[in-house]
Amino acid sequence: MHETSIALSLLNSLSELAEKERAKEVTKVRVRIGKLSGIVVDSFVFAFNALKPDYPKLGRAELLVEEVPSRYRCLDCGNEFEVETIYFPECTRCRSVNLKLISGEELEVVDVEIEV
Amino acid sequence: MCDVCGCGHDHVHENRAVVSDDSTRRVVEIKKSLLDENERIAEVNRKHFDEKGVLAVNLISSPGSGKTTLLEKTIEALKGEFKIGVLEGDIETERDAERVRAKGAYAVQLTTGGACHLEAPLVHKGFHALEKQMNGGAPDILFIENVGNLVCPSSFYLGEHVRVVLVSVPEGPDKPAKYPKAFKTSNIFIITKSDLIPYFDFDVEKVKREALSLNPNLKVFVLSAKTGEGLEEWFNYLKELVRRKKGGK
Repeated sequence: MHETSIALSLLNSLSELAEKERAKEVTKVRVRIGKLSGIVVDSFVFAFNALKPDYPKLGRAELLVEEVPSRYRCLDCGNEFEVETIYFPECTRCRSVNLKLISGEELEVVDVEIEV
Repeated sequence: MCDVCGCGHDHVHENRAVVSDDSTRRVVEIKKSLLDENERIAEVNRKHFDEKGVLAVNLISSPGSGKTTLLEKTIEALKGEFKIGVLEGDIETERDAERVRAKGAYAVQLTTGGACHLEAPLVHKGFHALEKQMNGGAPDILFIENVGNLVCPSSFYLGEHVRVVLVSVPEGPDKPAKYPKAFKTSNIFIITKSDLIPYFDFDVEKVKREALSLNPNLKVFVLSAKTGEGLEEWFNYLKELVRRKKGGK
């Protein structure tokens, strides 16, 4: 349920951005959330939409979430692959567990569309 | 650090560029972590701890794993040598702060009022309150006892030097597999209530192996606050960490 605090923190920073850019309102915000980030996307979106009416310029802000899969590179055979499981992954080609995480921990705001 | 208090600080939006522009709508590029604000204040906390020579330890576990009991034992053992401060994170009540105060630690209760984890700004406020309690002094060791929860606390850096994840034997052996993030982000893994191992299907070696496969750098302790098994090793390790902190300031 830390999704709620992260949604709140996003709304606060959008509110500041709207002031700073002298926007009439914020219309869209794009975020990227990795599968390993520890965020449940549905809860995050729910919290964002439930709380946004409290912010004067964010009532119609649409939250667009890009979910980033977890991808690894095998350090033994060089294979790059995506996995569904979040723990103890192994290489889909050679079954090595000597892996490097390439993506999946993202938790970022990409950009924001405002109406000025 | 005090420039953070009162939320009068500047929120800097660097890395921002306008990438498209029509008459009324504009896209502003942000490229910032959603946890940016927490992390910024956590860094301020960290700097403050460093300046005061405080070793900050963040304790994460499920409810009932024995965090507070282990703290009580640790305070009893080390209070002669070090000043110990505790920030007790709970959803409600002062109970844990009272428990550790009774053992001789300085303690501030942080009640989150429903939130399932601690965040850097609350720790910041709590540490100021602790300094006040100590008449402007600072502890040698600061324990931050997080809210009992193995999920959310692992996403929030508080400025700690060391993160400890605890699992008690009755909770079962599958915690590393089910809550990988807590283990990946920690430095120390403590298995508590080791006196109960004979009564549970808890294969210590297998649990250690699984935890280490998630994070090969984990330092593992197996201990029982009840029988005292393994406590000495834990105390000695903490002492060594404090010495290193004071030496390497």
